Amino acid sequence: MEIKYTIQGLLIYITIAAYLLALFVSLLRRPRAGHVLYVLGFVVAVVSFGYRWYHVRHVPMQNLFEVFLGLGMIYPVSVFCRRVLRIGGRSADMLIGAVVLVPAGFFFDAEPQKLPPALQSWLFAPHVAVYMISYVFMAKAASHAIWQLAGRSPIDDENLLPPEEATYKLICIGFPLLTLGLILGSVWGKLAWGDYWGWDPKELWSLASWLVYVGYLHYRYMFGKRHPRVNSVWAIAGVVVIVVTLLWVNLSRLFAGLHSYGAG
Amino acid sequence: MQGALWGPAEWRNNMVMSVQRGPKNRLRRAAMWAAMAIIMLLFFLSVYGAFIGPKRAKELFNSTVLGVYWVAFALLLMVGVVLFRRLLRVPALLLVHAGCILILAGAIWGSEAGRSLQKTLLGIDIVPTGQMQIHEGYSDNRVILEDNEIHELPFYIKLKDFRVEYYEPGHLYIQTRQGDTAWELPVEIGAELQLDPGFGAVEILRVFENFRITIDGDNRTAVDEPGTGINAALEVRIKTPDGRVSTRYVFDRSRGHIYPDSPLYMSYERVIRDYVSELQVIRNGRVVAEKDIEVNHPLHFGGYHFYQHSYDAQAAEYTVLMVSPDSGLASVYSGFLVLCIGAFWHFWLKRPPKVAMPQSAQTRSAEPDQEANKWKSNTQSRAY
Ligand code: HEM
Repeated sequence: MEIKYTIQGLLIYITIAAYLLALFVSLLRRPRAGHVLYVLGFVVAVVSFGYRWYHVRHVPMQNLFEVFLGLGMIYPVSVFCRRVLRIGGRSADMLIGAVVLVPAGFFFDAEPQKLPPALQSWLFAPHVAVYMISYVFMAKAASHAIWQLAGRSPIDDENLLPPEEATYKLICIGFPLLTLGLILGSVWGKLAWGDYWGWDPKELWSLASWLVYVGYLHYRYMFGKRHPRVNSVWAIAGVVVIVVTLLWVNLSRLFAGLHSYGAG
Repeated sequence: MQGALWGPAEWRNNMVMSVQRGPKNRLRRAAMWAAMAIIMLLFFLSVYGAFIGPKRAKELFNSTVLGVYWVAFALLLMVGVVLFRRLLRVPALLLVHAGCILILAGAIWGSEAGRSLQKTLLGIDIVPTGQMQIHEGYSDNRVILEDNEIHELPFYIKLKDFRVEYYEPGHLYIQTRQGDTAWELPVEIGAELQLDPGFGAVEILRVFENFRITIDGDNRTAVDEPGTGINAALEVRIKTPDGRVSTRYVFDRSRGHIYPDSPLYMSYERVIRDYVSELQVIRNGRVVAEKDIEVNHPLHFGGYHFYQHSYDAQAAEYTVLMVSPDSGLASVYSGFLVLCIGAFWHFWLKRPPKVAMPQSAQTRSAEPDQEANKWKSNTQSRAY
C-alpha cells in the first residue's frame, strides 16, 4: 500500500471521496445532492483518465493501474441502466466506482511504462476495454443479486425492475462483452505468442468466469425464477471468480511455488 | 418473434422447464442437466489448471481422458441442437451453440491427437509447434520441437537481417551509492545534468551502439562498431563540485561496470520496442514470399505461422522463430466470430421490454414455435 503524492493520485482520491460522499448522502435520502456529487466525481474521474492519457501518450489501458482508472468512470453505466434498462441501484454504482479506484489509488504502480513488444497490438486496448465494461455490468448484476438475497428492492422508483430481473438483464448485457473479451484475448495471444490458447492461469480463470455465466444462463433457462436465491448465488459467484481472475497474479503469491505465471 | 420482450430469453422469464412427461421431454431434461454438468466440470478443471501452471495444465487438457471429454462436449452440443428445435430455429441461439461446436472441432483437429489422426487417416504430415534458429544470411527448414526432435518443412526460411529496435531516447540513470537519490537524463549528445550539491554535474559526450576498445601499443581507444553486435554504451563526463573532471563509460544495467571509489552508480537504460526479422521463403531455389516479421506481426505461409520468438542477445546475429501449424485455426476463428455474433444478437439486438412481465401469455401466442411452448410448459413461477 502506498499513497500517491502526485496530481494523478490527488485526482483519484478526490474521485473516491466524491463517490463515497455521494453514497453517504444518498443513503441519508438526499438523492439529488447525491446525484450532484456523483456527477462531480465522474467529471474528476474523466479528467484523471485524460490526464493519464496525456501523460503516457497512448490509450491508457496497458496495465492494471490504467484499467482500474478507466473503470472509475462509471456514471454513464448508471444512466444507461436507468434510462434504457429501467435498472436502478445508483448508490451501488457509486460504491463500485469508489472500490474500483482504490487499487488504482493505493496498490498499483502508476509509473508510466513503455510498452513491451508483446503489448503493442491494436487488439490490446479493445480486449481490455471490453473486459472493463463487462466487469462493471457484472459487478452491478452482483449488487442486485445481493439485494435479492437480502429481500430488498430498489425503493426509489416504482418503475424499476425487481432485483432478480435486473440481475438477469445486466448479465445479458455483460455476457456478450465477456465473450468478446475472451475471444479478443485469444486472437491477440495467437498474434503475440503463436497460440490462441496457452493454458495460462490468467486464461483459465477468465474461461472459468465465463463458464459461471454460461452456467447461470442455462440454469435460469431451466428453472426461470423458481429458485431466485440460487440465481443470485450464481451471479455473485461470477463476480468472485472475476475478482480472482483480475488479481490472480498478485493473489498467487499466497500459493508460492504452485505455479509460474506466464511461463511457457 | 414479434412482440418479443427482451430477447427470447426474457419472455421465458416466468416459464420454467417443462414438468410434462413423455420420453422426449425426459431426454431434453437429461440433456440439459448433462450440459450443466459438462460446463461446470470445465469450470472446475480450469480452476485446477490455474493452480498447476501452464505446462502441467496443457498436459492435463491434452490428455486422453480430457480428449474424450472434449469430444463428448462437442457431441452434446450437437445433440442439443437436434433435440431442442428452438436452438435450430432461433438463429442467434444456433450461432452461439454452433460457434462452440466450431471452436471445439477446430481445437480438437489442431491438437496433437488431431494431427496424428490426420496423419493416419489422410496422410497429411504436419510439423508440430517448434522453433527455428536461423543466422543472418542463412536459410533453414528444420524445426526443433520441445523434446529436441527435428522435423523438416517442405520449404526454407532465410533470414536476411535481424535487428533490435529501442525506444528513443534511452536514459542515463544515476543513483547515489546509498540509493537514496536518483536522477534520469534522456540520452542526447551534449545533454547535461546538474546533480544535487555535493555531486556536481554530468554530461553525455558520446553514444555507442556497439562499444569496442582497440588497443594500439599503449593507446586504448573506444570505438563504435555498429552492426556487429550489441554493446550499447555512453561516454559520460563527470564534474565534481571541487572542479575535478573525469570520464567514464556507462553500459546498460546487465553489464554495468563498477567504479568502486565513485559516489555515483550509473547505467544506460534502454527499453526494447521491437525485434525485427527480415525473412524470405524459398521453395525450389526461388523466393516465393517475403516479410519483415515483428512481435505481433507473424509471417503466414504454407499452413504455418512464423513468429518472432527470441533472439541472440549477445550480437543480434541470429533469430529464433516459433513455428506453429494453422491446423484447425480457420474453424476456431470462424467459431469465435459465429459465437460472438450470436451472443450479441441474442442478448443485445432485441427490443427492450415496454411493460413488465405478465405480458408473457400474449407473447407466447405470438411465438410460432409450438414445440417450444410445449417444452416450456406454462408453469408460472411465483414472483418473489
Ligand atoms: C459452452 C457451451 C455453451 C454455451 C456458451 C451456451 C450458451 C447459451 C446461451 C448464451 C443461451 C441463451 C440463454 C438465455 O437466453 O438465457 C443458451 C441457451 C440454451 N442452451 Fe446453451 N450453451 C452451451 C452449451 C449447451 C449445451 C451443451 C447444450 C445441450 C443440451 C445447450 C442447450 C441450450 C438450450 C436448450 C438453451 C435454451 C434455448 C432457448 O432459449 O430455448 N447449451 N446457451
